[in-house]
Amino acid sequence: MSPLTLPADGAAEDKPLLLLVDDEEVTRLLTRLHLQEHGFRVEEADSGEQALALLGTHAPDLVMLDAMMPGLDGFATCRELRRLPGLANLPVLMLTGLEDDASINRAFEAGATDFFVKSQQWSLLAVRLQYLLRASRTTIELERSKAKLARAQDLARMGSFDWRRNDGRLSVSPEAMRVVGLGPHESVDLRALLGMVPQDERRALRRRLLEALRHASPVACDLPMVMFSGKRRMMHIEAEPEFNEQGHMASYTGVVQDVNDRREAEDQIQRLAHFDSLTNLPNRLQLRDRADRALEQARRLGHQFALLWIDLDRFKEVNDAYGHGVGDELLIEAARRLKACVRHSDQVLDTLESAGPRSHRLLEAVCRHGGDEFVALLPEIASEQDASRVADRIVAVMREPIYAGTQECRVTASVGVAIYPRDGSTVPELLVNADAAMYSVKNQDRNALAFYGPHLAGRGRERFELESALHKAIERDELVLHYQPKVDVRRAELIGVEALMRWQRGDRLVPPMDFIPLAEKTGLIVPMSEWVLREAARQARVWADAYGLDSFKSISVNLPGHVFQRSDLVEHIHQCVREAGVPHRVIMVEITENTLMSTLENITLTLDKLNQIGVEVSIDDFGSGATSLSALTGVPISELKIDRSFVQHLDNNVNGARSAVIAEIIIDLGRKLGLRVVAEGVERLGQMEELRKLGCHLMQGFLFSRALPADELGPWLDGTQTGRGSWPVAPRSALSGVALAGAPALAGDPPEPADDDFSRFLAGGVAGSG
Amino acid sequence: MSDAPIDDADLPPPSLDVAALSRLRELDPDGRHGVLSRVLTAFETSLARMLVQLQSESGRGDPEVVRGIAHTLKSSSASVGALALARACGEVERRLRDGQHDDVCADAGRLAMEAQRALQAVGAMLRA
Repeated sequence: MSPLTLPADGAAEDKPLLLLVDDEEVTRLLTRLHLQEHGFRVEEADSGEQALALLGTHAPDLVMLDAMMPGLDGFATCRELRRLPGLANLPVLMLTGLEDDASINRAFEAGATDFFVKSQQWSLLAVRLQYLLRASRTTIELERSKAKLARAQDLARMGSFDWRRNDGRLSVSPEAMRVVGLGPHESVDLRALLGMVPQDERRALRRRLLEALRHASPVACDLPMVMFSGKRRMMHIEAEPEFNEQGHMASYTGVVQDVNDRREAEDQIQRLAHFDSLTNLPNRLQLRDRADRALEQARRLGHQFALLWIDLDRFKEVNDAYGHGVGDELLIEAARRLKACVRHSDQVLDTLESAGPRSHRLLEAVCRHGGDEFVALLPEIASEQDASRVADRIVAVMREPIYAGTQECRVTASVGVAIYPRDGSTVPELLVNADAAMYSVKNQDRNALAFYGPHLAGRGRERFELESALHKAIERDELVLHYQPKVDVRRAELIGVEALMRWQRGDRLVPPMDFIPLAEKTGLIVPMSEWVLREAARQARVWADAYGLDSFKSISVNLPGHVFQRSDLVEHIHQCVREAGVPHRVIMVEITENTLMSTLENITLTLDKLNQIGVEVSIDDFGSGATSLSALTGVPISELKIDRSFVQHLDNNVNGARSAVIAEIIIDLGRKLGLRVVAEGVERLGQMEELRKLGCHLMQGFLFSRALPADELGPWLDGTQTGRGSWPVAPRSALSGVALAGAPALAGDPPEPADDDFSRFLAGGVAGSG
Repeated sequence: MSDAPIDDADLPPPSLDVAALSRLRELDPDGRHGVLSRVLTAFETSLARMLVQLQSESGRGDPEVVRGIAHTLKSSSASVGALALARACGEVERRLRDGQHDDVCADAGRLAMEAQRALQAVGAMLRA
């Protein structure tokens, strides 16, 4: 059949497409003609079978089915059509004969959307079709919007629920069912949902809900629910009351959201803020918080509480000797042991009041205060004995060796105890006094405990003040460098200086012994060392300008192990010398034997780089540590400094021989490895003599000069005028009148013209002084 | 097709309803698309086929077959203005649906007669 169409108005695509299914050609033709006139597009099928086939390829907006057809009739076609994918909501208009109630019912049973009695009233049909299409579009939009909402809720792990007051019925959306781990068709009531809340939380929740109900107030809370899988997840519930016309609360409507992941993230943040990441113990901040609460409770309830300051003895030595990996493992194990000595609670409490009158006991914990310092908080003690029992236990468990890495470490603990209210009325005061008590143990034999007492008053305070002042020392420009000359006694030459840090604290010059250990403990040593490098480079520039760069040797800077953990050390040195406009060689790096050995693998690379840019490396305190000799061959060093302990006894009848043997070995070793050997701590002429006999000519010590402020080095040099171009040396302290000119050179030494220089510098020294 | 009013005296006794025909004409006022002849031709073809069936059913009398034909012819005959046939189809269909199967052969015969007359009317209309 050739299609017969009327002229189309407007774009065909905008017009609704109808599928007309009728076996009777005349009716089909007329229906189509009329509907086209009303602005529809019409496809035709002459049987149910053909219609179903067409629906596979065409997507009409509506289907009109003649109810009575041979083969598949309208009803059967409609049923089949509904089973096709995506056609569940396609509007279907069943065309029936007049006065046919049975057909109308059958039409709806078969899934028709509506029926229409066949007639000649085409405009009525057109209106009905328009209505059906509009309703269909609305339905489709509603379905889409519902699907979108469901998807959004699924993504947010959220769902909604309603609770009716009159019959207590709870209706839960499929999304909400999914959130609580139930299938959409399972039945659930409020009781069953409450049953998923762990018992210990349920009572409080019930109270809360009843309270909300009584006041018709909104509900918003987080609560854990145990899913049927056994998994516990945190849910957020938020519900608002709804009121009827009389203003009475009639129902609650709300949402439930699975906030487990968010809560876990929040908990993680909480942990990071309040717990030490290495040991998982509460950190300093958390300690302060807990101690404040404990103090408040103790004050209110009139009991005592104790703070135990725990410091690991010799931790730094382990750290230096075996590296930070071992040190960290040691701290973790120490934390584990300490935790076992108290009723440790990890709980972070928001409010104590909510947890009952004895809740302050949940404050009991061991906290990491920093480094190797821990503080145990005992929130309620009946007597001093309670605290000393715990402290004893701590000292005892820490006495057992700790295996960290492959090392067996023997660190012990020193414990200081302060008790509220006896030893202080504020937390800072108690902490300071516990620390002072701990220090009193350290100053004796360590590995013990002590209570704070009036005899310790002020000591802890001093240390704390020192620490906080040290923090500001760099920015306040309070650090200064003093320089101790290194001399070649044979050539009577200054070969360089060692930069030594001093702290100008007000009008007092704090010696290194009093602040370097603290700086190492607090990590301040790193920025301080960086400052030293910058300052040394700057000073080198000043001297180079005054005396010429050629004659200038080097400034040795002591760098602790910490600094080598910074990957940008080489870059930093590079920057310091560039800023000062001096060559790299003016900086020499001194590291202790222990530093070298502890971080050998990491450090070698850095030392190589230093060498490449012209910075020499010197090993300080050589002989005092446990250097593996083979290590010396792999490390690019230029200088060995004999530990002062060997120099000290060289001129001593009792220990001299043994010291001389060791010094000689070191000197020999250095010579054979092609290294310079410098003797430190040379204070007496006798020591100098012995060293010279052993073949060591490079020295440093009070005999020549103490460490001098930069501006005194010039006058010192002038005082040792020898008339040579290079920097001469004048051991002022050696001006004892003892004639050394005739001191014999070591047998076997080649004739050394330097001996003359040596006599000369002594002569010059005498001349200079007098 | 002539727009001249149909003169009753010129037509054979069986005729198509004027109102129905004018409704059909409204679909194609200037006759450009030949709607009227197209509809009538379709009706004529369909009706001729049905007539053969009705004639054989007037001897056999299968109520379902007769009812189906009555249903089909009812609306199409009404559409083209074969009102007598449409009325007859309506009556027969209703009777058969209500289970009155006594006179199926006679019903078929009556429908065949009316179909014959309608066919004449359509033929005359088409070939006027």
